[in-house]
Amino acid sequence: MIFKVILIGCSANIVDQAEELNGFIAENLGRGDHGCSTILFCSKKQEKNALLNLVPTESVKLVTVAGYRPETILEALKMVENIEETHLYLFPGGYAGSELAVRWAFRIKGSSLVQVSQLEYTENQLIAKKKVYSDYVLGVFRLKKKPYCIAPARGSASSLPIRVKRPLNVTEHDMTQLHKDRFVKSSKWTADETTGDLEKAKFILIGGRGMSNAENAEKLKKIAGSMGADFGVSRPVAMNAWSTMDKIVGVSGAVTKPDVCIVAGASGAAAFYAGIEKSKYIVAINKDIRAPIIKSSDVAIIDDYKAVMDELVKLISAQT
Amino acid sequence: MNILVCFTVIPELEMLIDEDWVVDENLQIDVGFLKHSLNCYDESALEIALKFSDAARKRHVSPNLSALTIAGPEANPILKTLNALRFNRVVRIDNHDDIRFNSMAIASMLSQYVSNRMPQDVLLMGWQSGIGENAKTPLLVAEMLGWPCITQVTEIEPVDNNHLMVTCQVDDGRLQQTIQIPCVMSIGNAPNSYMRIPALKDRMQFGKRPVEVLHASDFEPFDEGIELVSLDVINHERSGILIEGATPEEKARKLYKSFLAERLKKL
Repeated sequence: MIFKVILIGCSANIVDQAEELNGFIAENLGRGDHGCSTILFCSKKQEKNALLNLVPTESVKLVTVAGYRPETILEALKMVENIEETHLYLFPGGYAGSELAVRWAFRIKGSSLVQVSQLEYTENQLIAKKKVYSDYVLGVFRLKKKPYCIAPARGSASSLPIRVKRPLNVTEHDMTQLHKDRFVKSSKWTADETTGDLEKAKFILIGGRGMSNAENAEKLKKIAGSMGADFGVSRPVAMNAWSTMDKIVGVSGAVTKPDVCIVAGASGAAAFYAGIEKSKYIVAINKDIRAPIIKSSDVAIIDDYKAVMDELVKLISAQT
Repeated sequence: MNILVCFTVIPELEMLIDEDWVVDENLQIDVGFLKHSLNCYDESALEIALKFSDAARKRHVSPNLSALTIAGPEANPILKTLNALRFNRVVRIDNHDDIRFNSMAIASMLSQYVSNRMPQDVLLMGWQSGIGENAKTPLLVAEMLGWPCITQVTEIEPVDNNHLMVTCQVDDGRLQQTIQIPCVMSIGNAPNSYMRIPALKDRMQFGKRPVEVLHASDFEPFDEGIELVSLDVINHERSGILIEGATPEEKARKLYKSFLAERLKKL
């Protein structure tokens, strides 16, 4: 099968994009046939050699654009790409990659699936697996129309640093004059807090709706700091503005894989659990023995999380 | 300015117990007996539209707010609530076909509604819903209409009759843009966007206004290019060892000594 990897070099998370896709390729596709390549979008001011070190294939089209705009990237893709020779396009797993995968598939009359956890290519057909029903169920789908456009689910594969034989076969395309974003009249980007730190943390303490208010959320955040843990929350906590959005753990936030994860006062609905299921060890503290998190934990305490955490932080702080 | 919010109602899946998760021979899971509520991102879309309308009125502009869902009668209680919240028009496209994993069919109906029946300037909808988890519909609607799409939107403010200020999350930060309409907005994690509750007098006065009902068969179908092969219920169970003790402090000490101390030392 001939696949093309799309990388958005003009995004600050380019290293994560490249390593996650490299891991996804290794776990699902192998190296592919001759003709597999990467299309790497970058901006004029970027250090190109550093970006080229992130390319997971032996050949690359380096496309320089004015900046990341989905409309411009899609138009540039149309100009540099020959869809006849491609079976599969692999996009990064974040917001941008998912958007491009769906829109590109529509434009080239292919089929798309995003948040994919696994791929199988057998007998000239592509089978993709992804979680559905709020992550309670794994759906298996057959994609019927080539070219296939896929964006993996974040955290679906282990990140794998790039090791490709050099030199690369590089062709460069200057698309800096291309502007398909005339509907945007002004734009201001802010380097907000992102979920990146949580996704790399080894020890996490997560608070759920059982915290009841912003004051308790702040207290638990301080406890996390005293214990040397990163702090996360379930989505309802952030929606109530008891915490910031970058702390959300789950389908709509960070997908974590810590060695130890303590969950305090969260019921453990599947959409939340998707953000902690790769934890090596899960501790649940909840007043309700029927909460789903109890069965989904390695060890659990049925009690008020506040009294348990007040004692636990003393013990852990004394050790460190 | 005509604003249409497209939403879906979904069954409250967390109410199902393990034994209820049964996939039948038609690849269906019986969730019909569950209470239905708004998909969380669509709820944010509806509240963002209402907040936008409040802000626009302060500038003496009254946007025309509509809400549309593709669903059976299970959506009626929500539609009545939206009437009470003073949406100018609420529409249900009556559908009984299996469109759980068919974003193309959903997007096709929505775009045909806008193109052929009720022209709009801005479309708002959640970026994905809890059953299909397709995360494709707003993007496909934008493609079908030939409109731009802004994803992971968290806030919309009025600028003038043709422009909006839109805040959205991107993979590496936050983007605030002034954009020209028309545009599709795909709503993400928007803080403080639980939908407001209508006043009792508004519920009495406006809640019983008729819902416009259209039929899915009135719209041209669209093939998704994706076929569902199987559904397998995911088992999340771990050992779930329960720590016993007379007080929370005693339980915490047992947890630390027997299960955590060694693990934390190795970090």
